[in-house]
Amino acid sequence: MKIENTKAQMRKGVLEFCILSVLKDDDAYVAEILDTLKDAKLLVVEGTIYPLLTRLKNAGLLNYRWEESTSGPPRKYYGLTETGKLFLKELDSTWNELQNAVNIVTSQKTTKK
Amino acid sequence: MNKTVNINLAGIFFHIDEDAYLKLQRYLEAIKRSFTDSQGRSEIIADIEARIAELFNERVQHDKQVIRLKEVDEIITIMGQPEDYLVDDEIFEDEPKASYKKQSSPSKKLFRDTDNSYISGVSSGLGHYLGIDAVWVRLLWIILTIGSGGSFIFIYILFWILVPEAKTTAEKLMMTGEPVNISNIEKKIKDGFDNVSDTVSDVAKNVKESVSGAAKNVSDAAKNVDVKKQAGSIKSSSKTFFDTIGDIILFFFKIFAKFIGVFLMFIGAVTLIALIISLFSVGAVNILNIPGIEYANIVNAANTPIWLVSLLTFFAVGIPFFFLFYLGLKILVTNLKSIGNIAKFTLLGVWLISVIMLTVFGIREASEHAFDERVIEKHELNISANDTLNIKMVNNDLYKNTRYHRSSFKMGNNENGERVIYSSDLAIIVKSTSDSLATLSIEKSADGRSFEKAIERARNIDYLYSFENNTLLLDSYFTTAVENKYSDQEIRLTLYLPEGSVLKSHPNSSSFFYSRGYNGSIVSYKDANHYLKILDGDIECLDCPEEEKFEVDVDIKGDDSSLKINKEGVEVKADSSSLTIKRNNIKGSTESVNVSLDSTGLSVKSKDD
Repeated sequence: MKIENTKAQMRKGVLEFCILSVLKDDDAYVAEILDTLKDAKLLVVEGTIYPLLTRLKNAGLLNYRWEESTSGPPRKYYGLTETGKLFLKELDSTWNELQNAVNIVTSQKTTKK
Repeated sequence: MNKTVNINLAGIFFHIDEDAYLKLQRYLEAIKRSFTDSQGRSEIIADIEARIAELFNERVQHDKQVIRLKEVDEIITIMGQPEDYLVDDEIFEDEPKASYKKQSSPSKKLFRDTDNSYISGVSSGLGHYLGIDAVWVRLLWIILTIGSGGSFIFIYILFWILVPEAKTTAEKLMMTGEPVNISNIEKKIKDGFDNVSDTVSDVAKNVKESVSGAAKNVSDAAKNVDVKKQAGSIKSSSKTFFDTIGDIILFFFKIFAKFIGVFLMFIGAVTLIALIISLFSVGAVNILNIPGIEYANIVNAANTPIWLVSLLTFFAVGIPFFFLFYLGLKILVTNLKSIGNIAKFTLLGVWLISVIMLTVFGIREASEHAFDERVIEKHELNISANDTLNIKMVNNDLYKNTRYHRSSFKMGNNENGERVIYSSDLAIIVKSTSDSLATLSIEKSADGRSFEKAIERARNIDYLYSFENNTLLLDSYFTTAVENKYSDQEIRLTLYLPEGSVLKSHPNSSSFFYSRGYNGSIVSYKDANHYLKILDGDIECLDCPEEEKFEVDVDIKGDDSSLKINKEGVEVKADSSSLTIKRNNIKGSTESVNVSLDSTGLSVKSKDD
């Protein structure tokens, strides 16, 4: 077991949830999503996001539209589909449950000590 | 100073340093390989390229600025290493990098490494290609060159010509196997021949990708089946699984192709070496006008220069094998330098001309033997019934190797110092005749392009014999002038002997007699040195020994007596008496007397002195 792997697993597990959350209110293009995730230190390198986006899109949770950019290539603006919104709601509640559970477990441990 | 490349990344134009370009290319290639088509590879790559273009765009202040290695390194740091792109189940394995490393095993190309060269860099280039120190390659060259009598130098030169020199940084990187394939599109368009190699390298690349992809898919499939996560993904995985089987077949096909390449190269090289050796041993002899030339020239009745024939043969046989060798090398080494269309067509032209000229020469040479004509001279010999004729062959020290029958020919000088062709292709045939006198018929034959030519050549054969005191002295050789060429000249002597006469041939003539029945001869080579009485179509040997019926050794021993009969003689003993008969003496002894008979005379001695 490598610590990096475990960390990466944890991070990547919540990454899909976070991407969907970023797009909850407004459409965004990749750089914007990346900025948010990087600010939150959830992402170290950008590469990880592309296969995830494609996967979410292929699963029908996301869709995108092209928009011209003044500087650089045209941008893909991603947004949530209806399924995506439902999916996000589901994840949201799961996350809350999970957070609760983790809190309980970790705090219990400390009190026992 | 650095060479730059123009690239189009997501529709945006960039100048980029060549080394930076190579790095970026490798990077994208590696990312590409960490995905399969089912994951939407092309889309992911397009997105990534667009992002890289965006990042470059942020770093480029003005149009003329060039992207350097530094920028590419920055981008890679931002985007992450190829393994960071893996979001699939592999991340839950302890060694996710293992499969990635396998995929990126670099494909090397063969170049000549002129930076580390002794002669042309072939050896150090091969060293890079094979992953061994150039010293060993050089050693192998030296051993092979010595072992093959120097002709491996030719193979070395072929490598020198065909393997391109690593000139640019890109090529040097490729030579040492650092980068992933680079498609040298411009170069390949130029060479029609390269299409083949292109396909081969494409196949190789695809196979490589798909084999590693396949491994991944199989593990994917296995996991998906176990967890039963998504029915859809099982479907797509199993689909790629079957694609994989096809890829594996392709992979084996590729190995087979390489094998064929090695095989072709081997055949080509061996044949070329053999041809070169023969060109230099046969051809050079004639080109350099070494004395042997005469021999070659007298065979060649059509007067074709021998060096030309060997050169033409070399081209006619060597050029196809050169292409075979080239093709084999081409299959093995995909970036082989093309020899160019001009060279190809020149070689093809030379080959066609060689073949045509050889055919013409062949026909000319064959036509030289179209007519086989003979001239016959008859001489009467004063031999009648009851006379004895002796036959003896006469040799001449001027002409070596003519003591016995030989169908080969030689060159020598005659008594007057003129160059002549000589041979002992002579046959003696004996027949019986009812005429009163014997006849010797001398039949000379030769080949020629025409009837007249053949007759003329036959006439030009010089052959002598003499007859005195009932002895026929026959030359064991014949000669003809050099300009007549060796055109299958032969002499056949037919001796017609009257019935009742006796023939005795000297042992030195036996090789000129063939077996009984050859052309109606009644005397065979076995009959030499015997008195043969000529009958009607047969002979009677007058002094042949009775054939020994059997051979026996007797050795009987009793108490006081013994009998011994063997090759030594006869020995009889009884009591005190004995009798021995041996080749050179006879001895007898009894109780009272000794008798001995030998070359000194007869002696009788009494024991009762």
